[in-house]
Amino acid sequence: MKTRDDQLGSLGRFSEPALYILISLADGPKHGYAMTEDIETVSGQKLGPGTLYGAIARLEARKWIEPLPAEDRRRPYKLTAAGEKVLRHRLEGLRAVARVGRARLAEA
Amino acid sequence: MAATERLLRLYPRAWRDRYGQEFLATIGNEPLGPQAAIDIVSGAIDAWLSADVRRTTMAQRVARTGGGSTMLKSIICEPKQGGVTIRDGLIGAVVMMGITLLFRALITAATNNDMASTASYLKGFVFPVAFTLSMPFWLMKGQPWKAQLVIVGGTLVLLVAVRYL
Repeated sequence: MKTRDDQLGSLGRFSEPALYILISLADGPKHGYAMTEDIETVSGQKLGPGTLYGAIARLEARKWIEPLPAEDRRRPYKLTAAGEKVLRHRLEGLRAVARVGRARLAEA
Repeated sequence: MAATERLLRLYPRAWRDRYGQEFLATIGNEPLGPQAAIDIVSGAIDAWLSADVRRTTMAQRVARTGGGSTMLKSIICEPKQGGVTIRDGLIGAVVMMGITLLFRALITAATNNDMASTASYLKGFVFPVAFTLSMPFWLMKGQPWKAQLVIVGGTLVLLVAVRYL
């Protein structure tokens, strides 16, 4: 059976940008430009517009984020309950991996 | 027309209707660097090929234009609005098969004339060339011919270049 973590992994090369978007939306709705700025601040990576909207479309297709009414030309997105579960599960997985990595570095 | 707007025309119409304005607003007035331009072109190819992306943009179009008979109409007879009809799919499949058979004939002719290296070279092109040349008949149907030319021509050039690398 596929876990939610596997589902995020199934986004292929968009899985990392998608994770950043979910993290960016975790503290409230944001539009594309605000997401790009936030992701750059948090991760140091600037997502290109093609990558950003490729990931947004995939997250929207899976109903992990949903669009809000447009403000001028900008449309904010918000994290859905399903998206929040996927994000929590992914972050738990990353924490476990980080714990193992740190432990192995300490042993070396 | 700004470079960004020109590049936006490479995306499917349904995608532009759904994300075009916010996409342009996200880029803003910043000058477009080569890395961002490559990212936008990659995004356009992805928008054409990804079932997920097409599902999102077409769902939005159907929701906006109404459900029921409009949805059926969009599936069967409105390819120019970004949908791929069953007929378009069949035409694309026939084009792919035709090009595959053409390559098969060329490979056989090359093999029969002791041109084994040419035959081997051609074999690597059969599926990617057949798929790429079929795209204007279904995936890209109804899009501006310049966008089709850039994507199909660019992909073919890239295929040849990759074989030489």
